[in-house]
Amino acid sequence: MYKKMKKLEIPNEQNSTLDGKQKVMYAPNQNGEFERFNYGSNVEEYATKLAVKEYEILKEQALKDIKENISSPIRYYMYEHRMDLSTLASVTGFFQFRVKRHLKAKHFKNLNNNILQKYADAFQIELKELKEFKQC
Amino acid sequence: MLNSFQHQQFAHCESGVVSTLLTHYGVKISEPMAFGITNSLTFFYFPLVKLNGLPLIAYREIPKNIIKNIEKRLGVKVYKKQYKDMISANNELTELVTNQNKLVGLQTSVYYLPYMPKDMRFHFNAHNLLVYGKEDGEYFISDPVFEETVKCKEKELTIARFAKGVFAPKGFLYYPTQIPEKIDFEKQIKKAIIKNAKSMTTPFPYAGIKGMKKLASSIGKLQNNTDERYVKNYLTHIVRMQEEIGTGGGGFRFLYSAFLQEAMEYNLNKEKLSKASELITESGDILREFALQCVQSAKNIERLDTTQIVKTLVEASTIEEEAFKVLKTI
Repeated sequence: MYKKMKKLEIPNEQNSTLDGKQKVMYAPNQNGEFERFNYGSNVEEYATKLAVKEYEILKEQALKDIKENISSPIRYYMYEHRMDLSTLASVTGFFQFRVKRHLKAKHFKNLNNNILQKYADAFQIELKELKEFKQC
Repeated sequence: MLNSFQHQQFAHCESGVVSTLLTHYGVKISEPMAFGITNSLTFFYFPLVKLNGLPLIAYREIPKNIIKNIEKRLGVKVYKKQYKDMISANNELTELVTNQNKLVGLQTSVYYLPYMPKDMRFHFNAHNLLVYGKEDGEYFISDPVFEETVKCKEKELTIARFAKGVFAPKGFLYYPTQIPEKIDFEKQIKKAIIKNAKSMTTPFPYAGIKGMKKLASSIGKLQNNTDERYVKNYLTHIVRMQEEIGTGGGGFRFLYSAFLQEAMEYNLNKEKLSKASELITESGDILREFALQCVQSAKNIERLDTTQIVKTLVEASTIEEEAFKVLKTI
């Protein structure tokens, strides 16, 4: 009843980012009717892995900057939790410009516990882990 | 708990959840129908709105579009609620899925769901899932993008429901309460198709066909960008918006084609529907090729040549233009 559709290839490749699971997509079956098929795509895998890796790079940089007393541990945890400035700002309720300052070592030193606790909550860690940062 | 509940895996979370919910409450709606009848296909490219320093690109309408429009299209009534505090949100959910045996939809963050694979956990707040029961402080969840049902601890689910940031869910909970006896599918499908065709062919330069062309030209400009890391991230970001947060290789295009095919069962112009369905399938296939080219270019960033990538995206946009011109006159 349906006009023959051009057959679509269903990729059946590894995608390690899904922990062995598969997603579904719609494609025409032999009769040209759309149906759901499981698939695995290494194009998606690569894109996901690169996004994950980007946070690893940012974390490494943050660690280096913390050692050199440029950045605060907040920067490390922000990337550890795959956040950007605007996400962290909305989680903590601080304005972005304030968060930006808190990412710097020299401002971090002067922060009181109330403020630090908000960051600890955002990262679901203890206040101590933030104050006595020892990942370096 | 609902013993009769049948979990199904879908291509996209919101259309999957709405399809299961409506079917469960008495009106059988497929995933493509839920997606199409709410005119959910789109294209957006907003370079001024940034996500992690990269532009906002979307292949479908903004989150909640399906839930909101399905009410209007089908005349169903949906109970929708957002909450100020976590406790009352959790209490109401418990009450609904235990004492009242209801199946309910929730909006959540992806990042805070413990059962999500680690690599998939990003701060995306517009995920949708179904809850169908609770036992010993754990909710039974039917997550439409998973093969099997999963369980999630009360506390963890609540955190995911109250994630902050863009599209913050604020505990959003929903389920249909009233299904009309008669639904005029023919009329509503036609309306939805025309509306979608109009939005895809809008003169606004950052949306629809024009948006696709705009994105293509921005990719062309990457040729002269010397920040290789940024270019790599940009190219794969496009793919992630298209595939991963989307579904299965230009997946929204295939979902829409499936909808057009289903629409042929109604008294509408079959030739036009069939033609457009074919074209949009073709565009979806070209978009997969486009994604492949983006990834290959990212892998060989030193020898980046954007000419072909740009050409492929423009080709997809031209085909969609043709398809939606046909659909406008349905």
